[in-house]
Amino acid sequence: MLNFIYQLKAAGIPVSVRYILDFYRGLARGLAPDLDRLFVLARLVFVKRVEHYDLFEQVFGRYFFGREADLGALDRQEVLAGKPFQDWLREQLASGALSEQEIRQFDSEELLTRFWETVLAQQGRHRGGHTWVGTQGRSPYGHSGREAGGVRVYGEGLYGSAQKVIGRRRFVNYSEASPLAAENLRQALAALKSLRPLGPLSELDVEETIHRTAKNGGEIELVFQREIRNRVQLMVFLDNGGQSMGPYVGLVRTVFGKIRDQFRELSTYYFHNCIYGAVYRDPPRTQAVKWEDLIQREPNSRLVIIGDANMAPAEMMAAYGSVEVHTTVRRPGYEWLRELRAHFPASIWLNPIPKHRWPEQSATIDQIRRIFRMEDLTLGGIKNAVTYLNEQGREVDRW
Amino acid sequence: MNGQSLTFGGTERYYLNPELRDIVNLAIAMEKPLLLTGEAGTGKTQLAFEISRALGLAMEEARCKSTFKGEELCYVYDTVLRLNDSRFGCGDTGRDVNDIWDYLRFGPIGRAFLAEDRRVLLLDEIDKTDSDTQDNLLDVLEDGAFIIREINHKVTARLRPIIIITSNAKRELSDPFLRRCFCHYIPFPGPEEMVEIVKLHYPEIPEPFLQSSLTSFYRLREQPFEKPPATAELLDWLGAMRTSGVKGPGAGREVAHVGTLLKRTQDLLKFRGLRR
Repeated sequence: MLNFIYQLKAAGIPVSVRYILDFYRGLARGLAPDLDRLFVLARLVFVKRVEHYDLFEQVFGRYFFGREADLGALDRQEVLAGKPFQDWLREQLASGALSEQEIRQFDSEELLTRFWETVLAQQGRHRGGHTWVGTQGRSPYGHSGREAGGVRVYGEGLYGSAQKVIGRRRFVNYSEASPLAAENLRQALAALKSLRPLGPLSELDVEETIHRTAKNGGEIELVFQREIRNRVQLMVFLDNGGQSMGPYVGLVRTVFGKIRDQFRELSTYYFHNCIYGAVYRDPPRTQAVKWEDLIQREPNSRLVIIGDANMAPAEMMAAYGSVEVHTTVRRPGYEWLRELRAHFPASIWLNPIPKHRWPEQSATIDQIRRIFRMEDLTLGGIKNAVTYLNEQGREVDRW
Repeated sequence: MNGQSLTFGGTERYYLNPELRDIVNLAIAMEKPLLLTGEAGTGKTQLAFEISRALGLAMEEARCKSTFKGEELCYVYDTVLRLNDSRFGCGDTGRDVNDIWDYLRFGPIGRAFLAEDRRVLLLDEIDKTDSDTQDNLLDVLEDGAFIIREINHKVTARLRPIIIITSNAKRELSDPFLRRCFCHYIPFPGPEEMVEIVKLHYPEIPEPFLQSSLTSFYRLREQPFEKPPATAELLDWLGAMRTSGVKGPGAGREVAHVGTLLKRTQDLLKFRGLRR
């Protein structure tokens, strides 16, 4: 069973000792008499975010239904080298519970097993012996391949097998690597809501003031709290020309529309491929917003540019580079972008093309990445973007 | 642990999918707060009420607000009332201005802890509070105790309540908070499950009518509306169609009573194709 946990960890699901203890506590109480309930128990204990459901199901499926996946031997080494284990080992040696001889004879699995047993016993939850209700006399420790087989005998569950559930991959749309879509709008939104710098300490905290005043025996003490309202404006530049942007224009507008109240002002502008001295107020790009007006915005404005950054190199690097044939703008795109970046340090470029395809997709992606920090338009990317904007923003807000 | 084991098996009014039933029972057995997330209309809050009904336990309910600090869910010390009484006298209210206990009001958590019987404690829409509050609350719930700081008196839970927490994921919950809970994301019910849910409300609805309604409903849900229709809207819609006696739900832009499904003006305009 430990192998299973290490695989979860290797797959990128955060696992803490507390979870492992909870998990064994559940097993010890016989809460996982069949594979289906084992599935539910493990998920409840280990998975805290819907983004990880799909990963979890994949690991569970591979582990209990599929071939034995190659276990990362490295991960076990990591635990063996970790502090809690080393401390335990030292203690065992010091108390004479294990001799050095014995330790050399045990393989790492055996040592880990003993380690967990001790930890469990300390928690006072261990029921002793190796007879766990769920696994009918089979130790949940030991070699996991066999152990998994042992559970599988009771595999036929009450509501159709976990296997079926996993096969459907119901949560694939919620995983971190999935692109923005109607299903995960809500998660993206939750991530974006953390985009909120705090206001000054300017609001009277009535409750706390009363409390302190009462405590002071009537001597009035005023307590102020931060204003919740945001003072910052958010600008979204949306590339609505390129083909790869097509499916995202609506979604992006919906997402940002929903966080409108969080900012003092939200403005959405449009551009095609690259920016040449102006962006446009309307989707067909007829009402231009002048560059001078843009640049005059407060420098702490947050700027999110969403586009595929995928164009002919000339569109970005050459004079008169715009795809619009009638362009009169001499200055090349990259200069405009650089100026934009310099004016708004709290800015980020979101790209609907998944990150792993950037290098082969287009040289201009690389060019733009030298100017703007770029993330892809997946949940993970959006979260990174929010973190980045908040960090940058904190700097700028101090000005 | 109080010896007796509680097992939740659903009630006749509420469609409970077997996975969710197991989850509830696991959380009860492991004495962990159960955090339910998922869209509005997936029955998160309802579940807590059904647990309390099915197990015959009284319910303590806290609807969270963004101004909560956490403490008011345990107790409130009515300072102003006491100052008033000390100045103008208690009159015939029966309060004793020298006794602080007369000025303490217990909130849902306080009541659940002080009760002689085991309670179901619902913290509804926890995501409305800020993350400090959430962490404070979880400290209290994990220890099963809080301190009335004015008199430094510790209130300890006689019986650990069954704790159900819901979140609409308006804001991300902090990692420490999530770590302490059992978390379950309730997915929006699929068509098969939706049939079961609808039948609990409209047992006599004809099958073909229901099927074609559900097809239209799920098609609408796939579009990026600001507020996609959920279960409550579906039930309203079916009710409206039944009352007005239309033959079928209609398709494309001709969906009957679309106003019961789409609530936002923008969504309605988008639906009618007036606005992209």
